[in-house]
Amino acid sequence: MRSLISTLPGRVGTVLAVILLVAWSLGPIYWSLVTSLTPPLHLLGAPSLWPHQITFEHYAKLFGATSLSQGNAVQSVWPQFSAALANSLITSVLATVVTVAIAAFGAYAFVRLEFPGRDLLFVAVVATLAIPAYTVMIPLYRLMISLKLIDTYTGITLIYVSAFLPLALWLMRSVYQAMPISLEEAAWLDGAGRVYTLVHIVLPLAAPGLIASAILTFLNAWGQFMVPLVFSPTLATKPLTVLIPEFVTRNYIDFGLMNAAGILAIIPPVLLVLFLNRYLVSGLMAGATK
Amino acid sequence: MIHGIDLSIRDGEFISLIGASGCGKSTLLRMIAGLEDISGGTISIDGREVNNVAPKNRDIAMVFQNYALYPHLTVADNMGFSLKLRDVPKPEIVRAVREAADLLGLTPYLNRMPKALSGGQRQRVAMGRAIVRKPRVFLFDEPLSNLDAKLRVQMRTEIKALQRRLGTTSIYVTHDQIEAMTMSDRIVILNGGRVEQEGAPLDVYDRPANLFVATFIGSPAMNLIEATVRRDGDRLFAETDDGLRLPLANAPVAEGTAVTVGVRPEHLNFVSSDAAGALPFAIDLIEPTGHETHVFGRLGRHQVVAIHAKRIAETSSAFVTIAPGGVHLFDRASGQRIERI
Repeated sequence: MRSLISTLPGRVGTVLAVILLVAWSLGPIYWSLVTSLTPPLHLLGAPSLWPHQITFEHYAKLFGATSLSQGNAVQSVWPQFSAALANSLITSVLATVVTVAIAAFGAYAFVRLEFPGRDLLFVAVVATLAIPAYTVMIPLYRLMISLKLIDTYTGITLIYVSAFLPLALWLMRSVYQAMPISLEEAAWLDGAGRVYTLVHIVLPLAAPGLIASAILTFLNAWGQFMVPLVFSPTLATKPLTVLIPEFVTRNYIDFGLMNAAGILAIIPPVLLVLFLNRYLVSGLMAGATK
Repeated sequence: MIHGIDLSIRDGEFISLIGASGCGKSTLLRMIAGLEDISGGTISIDGREVNNVAPKNRDIAMVFQNYALYPHLTVADNMGFSLKLRDVPKPEIVRAVREAADLLGLTPYLNRMPKALSGGQRQRVAMGRAIVRKPRVFLFDEPLSNLDAKLRVQMRTEIKALQRRLGTTSIYVTHDQIEAMTMSDRIVILNGGRVEQEGAPLDVYDRPANLFVATFIGSPAMNLIEATVRRDGDRLFAETDDGLRLPLANAPVAEGTAVTVGVRPEHLNFVSSDAAGALPFAIDLIEPTGHETHVFGRLGRHQVVAIHAKRIAETSSAFVTIAPGGVHLFDRASGQRIERI
């Protein structure tokens, strides 16, 4: 048994590390929340850890029909904000669904089917992860122009899928590799075909992997800035990430509005993760073998 | 790799493929199932060549070593899966599953998930899944190797009784010779992808075809002593290089042939020093197992083990004779059995 003296510094260290980690990840969000609740005039003074006076005027500016800005009634930004929110949701969901669907079937082929150049092809796909996005930006832009896919959901989704698919494929491949093949063989002998086995036996068991891929892809897509900055010039497809920095005007940076919009933009991914997390249960394979 | 295996299995027969790991027994089973491709030869079931028939169309059921139960389906759904795929009407599936569950004592567990079952119960579900289909052939791939010793013995008798009752042709792969010996109508001993011997369990035990089978079947293993055939008048015997003489009865073997003499441990009988043909036996170690005693020692310079049906007091030397018919003779060069006349 270890003595109290030897464990006490260890415990203190652990607690400190946890506090540091939480401060590191939640600090900016807290700061953003405080800023979004602080009246504009107070924002110009000395920074403070908590608002001395709470206001919802920044949120009102986002949601209301009109709102007060520096004493004048102005048009609210709700039309732009809601359009961008919808665009963010649509492109992220589309990218997630397509990526996970392709990864689910594609990775299975990489694991269970034998075809010439299988491993080489897989390495080539994964190797694209190492290519920095900005090196392909200009050729991609020209390609998208000639395909007339600039500022379309299809265009953005295709770019996202091509960017996030390698990671999802990689993840799903290791999920399938860890699954005992005897389950599939049992299904084949029971009379199931390849596709039936994949859909009814393999995919339900691979659910945690599929959900992890979905979360990763959705969060990646939701947080994209550079791709939509280039490929979504108008509100037809412009997402929140690109809209929010536009609250910076020539004469005035609306910190309150930006942070209020930022706080709202965090909500969908948080909800998604909370919702899907329930299905990320481990031990789903328990009882299959041994 | 499997080489030149020619094996025909009768309808309703229980046959075991046995051999050390890597001998090709599982591969052979998987070839019959259609899970491995074959590069040559033919596999026929009921006179129909199935070389290019998909596993699902071969009308066989397999019990896997790790059971391979579908973890997201209940016991009933696991067992009815194949029937559902064959579009059997639902009431029919329920009836078939109930019937199999009754047979296997699984009725109280039909709505459980596999993870809520013990190892033995999972094993039964795996068998239930195989029998609801009423296939032409059962394939068993070391189905008991994940169970503890006691449960293994119990399941062994259950599987055997079940097979007798259903009368379905069964091919059983195991590395456990006791399983093979006790359950099978016929056993096939494989080594390096080749058949070393096939036959009824006791025939194989009594007349092993070569040195591999002789040492593989039987526990403790057969004692092997290297010797040369000599003749003294009309008496034929095998003489070891340290002068130990083992009598040979009517073996068709020329004088001077290098042979290996095999004697099963239970054929070394303890006798008094004045008995005819008594051989001095130096005892190193005595292992009582309860119902019999294993005695490890030396005949001349040769390490041997003898099994005695009674208990033995600690002692350092004794005399043994070889029971009549207890000598197995093998050609040392080829390892093949030399048959008595």
